Amino acid sequence: MTAVAVDLTPRQRTWTSFRRNPLGVGSAIVLILLALTAICAPLIAPFPEGYGADTSQPPSAAHWFGTDDIGQDVFAQVVWGTRVSMAVGVSASVLAIVIGLLIGVSAAYFRRLDTPLGVLVDLSLSLPVLPLMILVAALAGPSVRTLAVVIALFSWPEVARVVRSQAMAIVPMPFVSAAKVVGGSSLWIVRKHLLPGVIPVVGVSVVLTTSRAVLAEAGLSFLGLGDPNSWSWGTILHKAQQSGALASAWWTTLFPSLAILLLVLSTTLLSVAYNDARNHRNGS
Amino acid sequence: MRFIGLRLARGLLTLWFAVTVTFFLVRLLPGDPVLAVADPNMTEELRLKLLADFGLDRPLGVQYIDYLGQLLQGNLGMSFRQSIPVTTVLMDRLPWTLILTASAMVVTILLGIPLGVLAATKAKGWVDRVIQLTGVTAQSLFVPSVGIFLMYVMGVWLGWFPIGGAVDLDATGFAATLSMLHHLVLPCLSLVLIQLGGYVLTMRTTLIDALGEDYVSLAKSKGVRPGTVVWKHALRNALLPTTTIAGLQLGTLVGGAVLTETIYAYPGIGRAIYEAVGQLDFPVLQGAFVLLAAAVVVANLITDVAYGILDPRVRTS
Repeated sequence: MTAVAVDLTPRQRTWTSFRRNPLGVGSAIVLILLALTAICAPLIAPFPEGYGADTSQPPSAAHWFGTDDIGQDVFAQVVWGTRVSMAVGVSASVLAIVIGLLIGVSAAYFRRLDTPLGVLVDLSLSLPVLPLMILVAALAGPSVRTLAVVIALFSWPEVARVVRSQAMAIVPMPFVSAAKVVGGSSLWIVRKHLLPGVIPVVGVSVVLTTSRAVLAEAGLSFLGLGDPNSWSWGTILHKAQQSGALASAWWTTLFPSLAILLLVLSTTLLSVAYNDARNHRNGS
Repeated sequence: MRFIGLRLARGLLTLWFAVTVTFFLVRLLPGDPVLAVADPNMTEELRLKLLADFGLDRPLGVQYIDYLGQLLQGNLGMSFRQSIPVTTVLMDRLPWTLILTASAMVVTILLGIPLGVLAATKAKGWVDRVIQLTGVTAQSLFVPSVGIFLMYVMGVWLGWFPIGGAVDLDATGFAATLSMLHHLVLPCLSLVLIQLGGYVLTMRTTLIDALGEDYVSLAKSKGVRPGTVVWKHALRNALLPTTTIAGLQLGTLVGGAVLTETIYAYPGIGRAIYEAVGQLDFPVLQGAFVLLAAAVVVANLITDVAYGILDPRVRTS
């Protein structure tokens, strides 16, 4: 680890130490499998719709996860739910990251904007977000796109705060002043010097924002604000709640719940493992 | 005094922000609020009359000033569906939500402190590993999943606790109090389980830091018993960041309460929100958010002031 390590770039070193962490690698594999399930949903199970003959059946060989009160296959619902849950999670997260990155970097680079943007972020973070998302989602009408936009709209302040504090450490660096002296435009400095510096923090942020967005989507859909024409993990729980199956048919709620847990837990462990791998200097 | 004044001003600013954001969101979003109360096929004449009835035909600025004025008098508008003031709908529900969230917070702190101390004093041992891993897992839980799981196991399967409602309506006096506590156990426990992880992990980190401080070494070298060092000297300082966490997690707690109340048919604000979503009762949704935001602001103010009393350094900075 002495002679070889010297020649490695920081990125390679992070990768090497990440690969040695079984929890991190396991989480990455789980996430890849979930993503494959989302993409290949039509190949795995038919879209759950209409009425089936076997109503409220517990799990069996024919229906792995059982059936709900109108005879639909819960396994198919969970598989198709993976698609919407992950799509909303990822797109909301990407949108939130873009807004958060813009606001965070502007606050750090343009000094005059720092106070107003800081106050805006602080205020947004101190409000109870779920009731606000409920209000907006109810007004805008239920659809997959609404959910993604609404969740992004209330998730960016977290990202902005992280990005700002990282960018703040870069702005006073000599190379930024040097770039200003040679006449570099603000846009060029931000793109060439600030963005590369904040990208590593954003990496962790993407993962955590996605898992929070998946939880938010599940919460809104559970309350009945999901897209009525598609399945998500939260929608399955909502239907179970409405049909009164919560207290009787455990299989209608256990499997979507496990799917949510699996996704959120593996994203959390992945970001912990990535952070550990990046901080190998002060670690073991 | 100046410190309290500053915090108060900050709280008022947050509240104004919340109110303003909702006002403009409701007016500027594509959905027509009149469509929600009436038939979409109504005549243009009827539509204009309804708009005038709700005061929605006036300029936005006038509506905004009027809305703020009404709010100051405690008026949140009329419920679309129930034709009674939103304030009446929500004030009936507020005590239940306060009972639920406050009890969840107290139990979380009572469990979180000893668990955090245990993890910190056994740092790097297997007890610590188990506590840490459980803490991370608990933070990844989806509130309704926890609620449904507890309801199924302890309510349906074991039959220990009721699975819905907040109190037996025919119970009186002491029996009513007992019944209330009995109904509170499962919703409260659901909230505790999702909150606990954050508290324990913060407690652990700050206590490990505190145990490395000079005053701890000094106390140890003076021959103070290890238990006393941890509980009397280090813990007192480690509690301060935990107070901050309590403030920061308020938003999560409120969100969790909305979902938990929905599952247990617990008659708080959260259940009112769930019912209002089904009926597209926008004034109730808007009022519920304003009320919950106000509750969070007040709770934050209390934590801030408590922090200031506990730690004199905060007051001067």
